[in-house]
Amino acid sequence: MESYFDIDIWGLVAAVVMVIVAAGISALMRTGVAKSLIWATARSLVQLLAMGFILEYVIRQNNVWLVIGLITLMLLAAVQITMGRATGAPKGLVGIVLLSLVVTMLLMLAIVAELIVRPKPWYAPQLVIPLTGMLLGNTVSALALGLSRFFESMRERYAEVNTMLALGATKWEAAKPSMISSIRLGLLPSIAMLASSGIVTIPGMMSGQIIAGKSPVSAAKYQFVILAAVAALTLVADSIIIALIYKRCFISYDRYFVPEPAKKLSFKDLVQLRKDVHPDEKPDEVRREAEQEQRARTR
Amino acid sequence: MDETTEATATTTAGTGGAGHLFTAHDVTAVMPKRGGGETTVFRGLEFHVDGGEVVDLTGPSGSGKSTLLTAFARLNVHTTGSFALDGEDSDTFTPQRWRVAVAYLPQTSTLIGETVADAIRLPWTFKVRQDARAHEAKDMLSDAHIRATLDRMGCRDIDLDRAPRDLSGGQAARVSLARTLLTKPRVLLADEVDAGLDEENADKVADLLKLAAHDGTAVVRIRHRAPDGRATRMMVLKAGELREVPLPTAAQVAAAQRADAVDGSADGAQGDGTEE
Repeated sequence: MESYFDIDIWGLVAAVVMVIVAAGISALMRTGVAKSLIWATARSLVQLLAMGFILEYVIRQNNVWLVIGLITLMLLAAVQITMGRATGAPKGLVGIVLLSLVVTMLLMLAIVAELIVRPKPWYAPQLVIPLTGMLLGNTVSALALGLSRFFESMRERYAEVNTMLALGATKWEAAKPSMISSIRLGLLPSIAMLASSGIVTIPGMMSGQIIAGKSPVSAAKYQFVILAAVAALTLVADSIIIALIYKRCFISYDRYFVPEPAKKLSFKDLVQLRKDVHPDEKPDEVRREAEQEQRARTR
Repeated sequence: MDETTEATATTTAGTGGAGHLFTAHDVTAVMPKRGGGETTVFRGLEFHVDGGEVVDLTGPSGSGKSTLLTAFARLNVHTTGSFALDGEDSDTFTPQRWRVAVAYLPQTSTLIGETVADAIRLPWTFKVRQDARAHEAKDMLSDAHIRATLDRMGCRDIDLDRAPRDLSGGQAARVSLARTLLTKPRVLLADEVDAGLDEENADKVADLLKLAAHDGTAVVRIRHRAPDGRATRMMVLKAGELREVPLPTAAQVAAAQRADAVDGSADGAQGDGTEE
């Protein structure tokens, strides 16, 4: 960290002041976003610092079980966010979403961490945890988008699906157009990110390494590996999930029947639900979940 | 049109698989009501049809005619019953093989594909027909062959390269019918395919169905229009009861057609061909 420029407390204050000024201006213009801007800023400050402290602790401990525990929490949060954002998806998909996230995460860790980067120890938290976060952030958006699109498309194609079935199509054949459209939509952001990185944007991870004083070229190599892996694995996750859920739109004797969308869970319900599932967890995890969302957005 | 006399006028007609091409036994439809609860549309209906027949199914709207036909094709999630083809129960078929044999033709034509030719080829892209394709002529799916078939079906006015959405309602209905007819089903369940068509197109559609019956297909038509003289048997579904009604005399048909009855009322008349 030879040439690393740390941000002191006044730096944070300056950033907050900037937001307050901006909020003041928008309040004067009566745009109505001032309050939510302040609220979001406060949340982001708290969430990011919390994640920072947690990561610092985990990295300092360098304990394999702590790493695995943190990753498990991140996975569960990712499942919850996916289900919350996938509008129109029916109930009972949690297991499938978890499965596809676990599979892609293991692939990511096996290929990117253990095959390409080869850290020592193998579970090096400063590599494994950010990697997981980046993958999950991306996959969560893609899965939520893909799931919503799939069920929406299956509902829209009511007449088409029934016509195809009447002509002798299998479930797979009748659902295929919706699967393709869903996977395509889910993958679009990844492709756009691959194509625009380096021209329009310097991706977050590369920026971070450069600011931290690493060589921009090695930062670029790192970034490329991550982007490519994330794009590929997003496709994998999307395909797994669509291949596992398309049957939900049919009942016995291959008859078309799209299940009712699950009731939308509010944020409060989510906290409640999580408490029901993991009674010993602190709401601190909820923060992390929102934080991952944040990270997915900023990257 | 002599097979009509054998049928009796009650719902108990045609139980079991005794010799009929297609039999339906104990067909029940229970629809979920909006806001909870259920309605029984019909219960315990019996039906049968043989190759070469054209059976007209009429009845007031909401009586469950479409539900009955989709039940036959085993497409409807709200229906139960046992169905057999040549005495073989539908459960011994895969859903795909059953629907290939017992083809339901929906009221609204959904043509899938970039062009009319694609739309007609669609059923042949399905796995269930991959074996059948090997037995058919190699050029069966070529544009030339499809063209010739459509011409034979009186679809000379339909360009194969046109996008399906650019077709008129009558043209789309005929393409949709041609698509199903080309798959050579044993039982064809035509759900009011002449609805909303002008007299000329309705007539063409009716001709195509009659032709299919002539080639040995069992045709069941839901109809609301005035009788067109092509049916060999006539059934009414009303208030949960499926009854066979006698075919009307030629004079009744002529009168009905002159009056241009808009909606096939439950006692709608049917008779021998007066046109053609």
